[in-house]
Amino acid sequence: MPDKTTALAIAGVTLMALAAPAIAGQKLGEAQAIRTPETIYAKTCGYCHGRNVGPIILGRGLPAESVKYIVRHGQNGMPAFRPTEVKPEELEALAAWVEKSEARKGEHGQ
Amino acid sequence: MTDINMDRRGLLGAGILGAASLGLGTGASAKNPAPLAPHMSKADFAGAMKAFRAVVGNEWVFGDEDSVAPYTKVYVPDPTHRHVPVGAVCPETVEQVQEIVRIANTYKQPLWTVSTGKNMGYGMTAPATPGQVVLDLKRMNRILEVDADLGTCLLEPGVTYQQLKDYLVENNIPLWIDVPTVGPIASPVGNTLDRGVGYTPYGEHFMFQCGMEVVLADGQVMRTGMGSVKGSTAWQAFKWGYGPYIDGLFTQSNLGVVTKMGLWLMPKPPVYKPFMVRHAEMADVPRIIEAMRPLRVSNLVANCNLMMSASYQLAMFKRRNEIVPDGMPLDEASIKKAAKANGLGMWNTYFALYGTEQTVAGVEPIIRASLTASGGEVLTAAEMGDNPWFHHHSTLMEGGLNLDEIGLLRWRGAGGGLAWFAPVAAARGVEAERQTALAKEIVEKHGFDYTAAYAIGWRDLHHIIALLFDKSDAEQEKKADACYRELVTRFGAQGWASYRTGVNSMDLVAQQYGAVNREFNAKIKHALDPNGILAPGKSGII
Ligand SMILES: Cc1cc2nc3c(=O)[nH]c(=O)nc-3n(C[C@H](O)[C@H](O)[C@H](O)COP(=O)(O)OP(=O)(O)OC[C@H]3O[C@@H](n4cnc5c(N)ncnc54)[C@H](O)[C@@H]3O)c2cc1C
Ligand code: HEC
Repeated sequence: MPDKTTALAIAGVTLMALAAPAIAGQKLGEAQAIRTPETIYAKTCGYCHGRNVGPIILGRGLPAESVKYIVRHGQNGMPAFRPTEVKPEELEALAAWVEKSEARKGEHGQ
Repeated sequence: MTDINMDRRGLLGAGILGAASLGLGTGASAKNPAPLAPHMSKADFAGAMKAFRAVVGNEWVFGDEDSVAPYTKVYVPDPTHRHVPVGAVCPETVEQVQEIVRIANTYKQPLWTVSTGKNMGYGMTAPATPGQVVLDLKRMNRILEVDADLGTCLLEPGVTYQQLKDYLVENNIPLWIDVPTVGPIASPVGNTLDRGVGYTPYGEHFMFQCGMEVVLADGQVMRTGMGSVKGSTAWQAFKWGYGPYIDGLFTQSNLGVVTKMGLWLMPKPPVYKPFMVRHAEMADVPRIIEAMRPLRVSNLVANCNLMMSASYQLAMFKRRNEIVPDGMPLDEASIKKAAKANGLGMWNTYFALYGTEQTVAGVEPIIRASLTASGGEVLTAAEMGDNPWFHHHSTLMEGGLNLDEIGLLRWRGAGGGLAWFAPVAAARGVEAERQTALAKEIVEKHGFDYTAAYAIGWRDLHHIIALLFDKSDAEQEKKADACYRELVTRFGAQGWASYRTGVNSMDLVAQQYGAVNREFNAKIKHALDPNGILAPGKSGII
């Protein structure tokens, strides 16, 4: 069980990671750390969405609840993503971020 | 995009339509849950799940319909809902895997192991037989070693190609990775264990694998090759070890749970030059193969040659009804017209040269001469520019990451249906001519399209047929299932059996490799896993 100080330290680390995604690289021998919504979008969703495969999902005010459901269940051509791939806390943040996101120039829907 | 899709998107955007109402499509429900393994009682299952929770924690065991849902999504046809897991357990360490295997033996709970579980078009995380719990190793995603001098790495199963690539880039290590088409979400370990392929000179993945760590069905941990020798520094450097070579036993099989794998990585070459050869007629494929084979066998061309049919290429980025109206057959004239408009031929062959300025300049004229003589136009970035197809394949041939080809899943209607059929022959033009004719006859009879590619691996010819269907249409799913079985059976009768297959057809394909071979596999299986807890049905092995 983490005590209060560790919990606070972890929260601090998470905040720092959120503030500086550029240094969030994976270290040798360590499992992947929690990623920011921006990183998950760049390294997973964004390969399909706004590119050649899926519809645009940014800047549409898509409700976070729907985003979460679709990520976990997949939809037609979209595969599902398991909690081991996009962690529950990552998905919470990602879905809220997608809902509030602005449209991006240069993205095209399919 | 169809009108229906547009409407649904509008509603989703406005938050009117609950996403839940779009449906799961697994056939399982609270009233009618996915069946347990035939020999198991509800109490056994509950006991196993409880014990799993004690090992990995409540949050990493999934046993109810809603939480298992992400494990049930498949592209393959499964009209009778046979391939639905009953749960999932997600360990973080080798010790936890050992514990899980021991528990599985106690309760005789079968486990379907996946690394990243993105075996798309082969079953993703769905098991070959009912009643299995997915052993999901994605949380074990440590990059354990990278040796920049030797060009080797040691990985856990959950490391994606994206993670490995990011690590190499962030640490300025000039080694490439070799991706299957869908790198960002798939894994070197999972892909290699299913003997998958990629597009650089290291594309035959199992050839570039070196050393494994395996949890056996009795819970012991075994290292292969030099890995079991105290003090050896060659686990990732020397493949064979001593005595019978056993790494192959753990690929496309159910004899162990691989928890670490060594791989060789290609040094980034000073010069990388991708090519596309455009041929104008469907009938040209034998000529291309005859021209390519000597280049490939001699290794003058060092990567796999991918010959993409126009229809496969169009299906990546277009919808079927942009080429022909719904309900009409996909005729050759329409394909040709669309191909031409997009800078494509009826066959588009991709390969690349890797080396120094001098070696590339030395080899290029030889290659150009024989491919031009085959009737092809030999093209490079100079002519193709930012053509999206050329860009896609150029990315793959340098181990780059993208997911563009998932566009295939949207070819027909709502989409979501794909089964790969990949029979193997020797690399000879006549084989391709006969295979194309047979494949077209079968898929068209069932109302589907011939969207296919050929690949010369080295001396072999893989015919890669994407059977694309609309999985939201139950009738089409049934037809796709029947079509797939006919493909396997009739190709098999000609001696063309698959190199790999989906959970929907593992037993069918196993039959084609003969009774003695099946019995041999079964004997090993029964000796190593008497309770049959590891992935029953994988490659038809029970
Ligand atoms: C559009 C498209 C293009 C594709 N292109 C390619 C391609 O070019 N090349 C290619 O090879 N594939 C291709 N695929 C198929 C597939 O998506 C990839 O092969 C993918 O890499 C497999 O998924 P994975 O890496 O997550 O492996 P997993 O799904 O994790 O593993 C695959 C199988 O290996 C076995 N296995 C996995 N891990 C273990 C373990 N630790 N111990 C024991 N057994 C294990 C299991 O049977 C499992 O089902 C493509 C799919 C699509 C949809
Ligand atoms: C492999 C490609 C791929 C990836 C990766 C992917 N998606 Fe999708 N997604 C699709 C496709 C294709 C659709 C359209 C499905 C359909 O036709 O109904 C879609 C649909 C959606 C929708 C519904 C949009 C609409 O207008 O109907 C949402 C929301 C969504 N995806 C979110 C995500 C998020 C968040 C991620 C990252 C975690 C993600 N997707 C990753 C391919 C992908």
